[in-house]
Amino acid sequence: MPLDLSFLDLKPAAARFMPASVLAPLDGPLEHDAIATFDLAPVSNPTEFIHNQMSKDAEHRIHMAKGTTTLAFKFAKGVVVAVDSRATMGPYIGSSNVKKVIEINPFLLGTMAGSAADCQYWERVLGTRARLYELRNKERISVAAASKLLCNMVYGYKGMGLSMGTMVTGWDKKGPGLYYVDSDGQRLTNHLFSVGSGSTYAYGVLDAGYDYDLSVADAIDLARRSIFHATYRDAYSGGSVNVYHVKEGGWEFISKTDVFDLHYEYQDQPRPALV
Amino acid sequence: MEYNGSAIIAMTGKNCVAIAADRRFGVQALTLGMDFQKIFRVTDRTYIGLSGLATDVTTLNERFRYKVNMYRLNEEREIGTKTFAHMVSSSQYEKRQAIPEFPWRFGPYFVEPVIAGLEKDNTPFICSMDTIGCINYAKDFVVAGTATEQLYGVCESFWEPDLEPEDLFETISQALLNAMDRDALSGWGGIVHVITPTGVITRTLKGRMD
Amino acid sequence: MSNRYSFSLTTFSSSGKLGQIEYALAAVAQGVTAIGIKAANGVVIATEKKTPSFLVDETTLTKVASISKNIGMVYAGMGPDARLLLDKARKSAQEYKRTYCEEPPTLMLVKEVASVMQEYTQSGGVRPFGVSLLIAGIDETGPMLYQVDPSGSYWAWKASAIGKNMINAKTFLEKRYSSTMEIEDAVHTAILTLKEGIEGQISETNIEIGIAQQIETTNRDGELVKVGVFRSLSNAEIKDYLTNIA
Repeated sequence: MPLDLSFLDLKPAAARFMPASVLAPLDGPLEHDAIATFDLAPVSNPTEFIHNQMSKDAEHRIHMAKGTTTLAFKFAKGVVVAVDSRATMGPYIGSSNVKKVIEINPFLLGTMAGSAADCQYWERVLGTRARLYELRNKERISVAAASKLLCNMVYGYKGMGLSMGTMVTGWDKKGPGLYYVDSDGQRLTNHLFSVGSGSTYAYGVLDAGYDYDLSVADAIDLARRSIFHATYRDAYSGGSVNVYHVKEGGWEFISKTDVFDLHYEYQDQPRPALV
Repeated sequence: MEYNGSAIIAMTGKNCVAIAADRRFGVQALTLGMDFQKIFRVTDRTYIGLSGLATDVTTLNERFRYKVNMYRLNEEREIGTKTFAHMVSSSQYEKRQAIPEFPWRFGPYFVEPVIAGLEKDNTPFICSMDTIGCINYAKDFVVAGTATEQLYGVCESFWEPDLEPEDLFETISQALLNAMDRDALSGWGGIVHVITPTGVITRTLKGRMD
Repeated sequence: MSNRYSFSLTTFSSSGKLGQIEYALAAVAQGVTAIGIKAANGVVIATEKKTPSFLVDETTLTKVASISKNIGMVYAGMGPDARLLLDKARKSAQEYKRTYCEEPPTLMLVKEVASVMQEYTQSGGVRPFGVSLLIAGIDETGPMLYQVDPSGSYWAWKASAIGKNMINAKTFLEKRYSSTMEIEDAVHTAILTLKEGIEGQISETNIEIGIAQQIETTNRDGELVKVGVFRSLSNAEIKDYLTNIA
């Protein structure tokens, strides 16, 4: 029986599974230098194969770091982004000092939830594509366009095990921008998002305290408190709170605060009045 | 074990023993309480730590309290630490298997007990057990819970023989705190009991609340 | 229906007495004498060994028996009844050891045996035991000697006697007993007490002796420890004692 070598024809494999919009997106003829393609598993159905590899009873299961609280909201003075810094592998805490805000470029920020590697990689790719866009069009890419690029890229790998829930924020011609993009290919925009295992707790605090006309200091404090309360209740969130503020002139790193200090700081304060 | 999460250690010192636990009561990722009791007094010189499924922790504490009270009344004496350990082991093994004819008599209690105390001659005694009562005797330290690996790691490096009560307190506290910092399912403060021939020192630990 | 006939035989008489228990005690009083003495560092129990005919091979007769490592007993009264109690006592001792990984204290075992004997005074379809027991043991509280009667009552004694010659034996013990007495003296006293009441010549073949005392052994960790042990004396050992007395 002859060997089935048909899988050798698959290169560049990913291309077969990519929608045309990814291969020829905004920047026309130069797509080949910007698009990343991966070798897929040499089997007839890579999607099903990877699905089996990641199933609970697979012998060599692929493990991924999950468990996070991230949030971002638009308000009158821009966008505030806040995240925790815990990385878990099951119940084990892998790190308490993870940078979950990815600095794509001086005007764009992305957040990390789901698989750390997927978020880091694809947002780095997004960075190169945003830069190429700038060079070609002599103007910065909009947040809407950048988030759509990311969305289209990960959509090409839908069902193959990518895991990311990210918020892309920045400032463009239209002002502050905030988009939620995930590995299912979903892309949404809104004033306020929270993503991760601790997001429900963060929403609780965030919704109670949110107002579009919040001062910068109050907005930062609200974001920090929301993440803190999520780390308090959610076992898979913790470490420190990192806060960023996106303004007209680009983003600014505000603070990194250990939640241990925050807890004993908040503990002595009076409870906030009910809204 | 992973449903509620816990971290428990017992350590020996010079004529003293210490037992420590975290205080979290959670259901998987959700933390519900930060003052959950996992260590229980058996006698003035014997304490038991129960790690595992919270509902069984509560039930077993009540069962052991009943048994120890009956022992005291029947035998007109306090139960010794080692004797209590064997009593716990026997009780655990009794429930090793579910009996098919009696489905309400479910299988083992999902609890790994840790026992610490002083014998009649003040020699320290500590041991841990699996859910069906296999005893692990140790001369240095025993651990249980979701932070087992982390606890073993820190105990191996922190523990030394013949610690005085105050040094033992410091050692066990640091071991617990540092192990909990690497476990998502335990933490939210700690409690330590140091058992000495003259009395028990009990202190709560201020820990990370994440 | 059968329940109607299985009421307890042990019923109160109009004067408030339990006839069956008194008869059981009478059966004990006909039994072969057994005595026990608690010494400062141990306990001794001893009995005569009487055969209905000299044709019986008396080497197969034993009245002194060990219940657990540190506890033994002797009886006066009906042999078969005593054997049933011995069996239950041994099982109870093993049960205790299985749960606590520890030999039962003498008192716990006595309570267990006494409760069995009490049950047989109140249950339907049974009769009380026709035996009294002397239980000797040594535990962390020290040496102990208990007597258990058919009614299920029990007492701790410094020295006691049960069976046919109990009155004389007790009088003898009252005169000879001293609380500072050590185990060797106690064995001598026990032999002398038996000698008083025995028919014919006393010898190593017609008496039995058991002692509970502490001995030194090495445990699993190789440490020297003291443990309580009960054992019956061999004929040779008894012979040595007898020659010392004579």
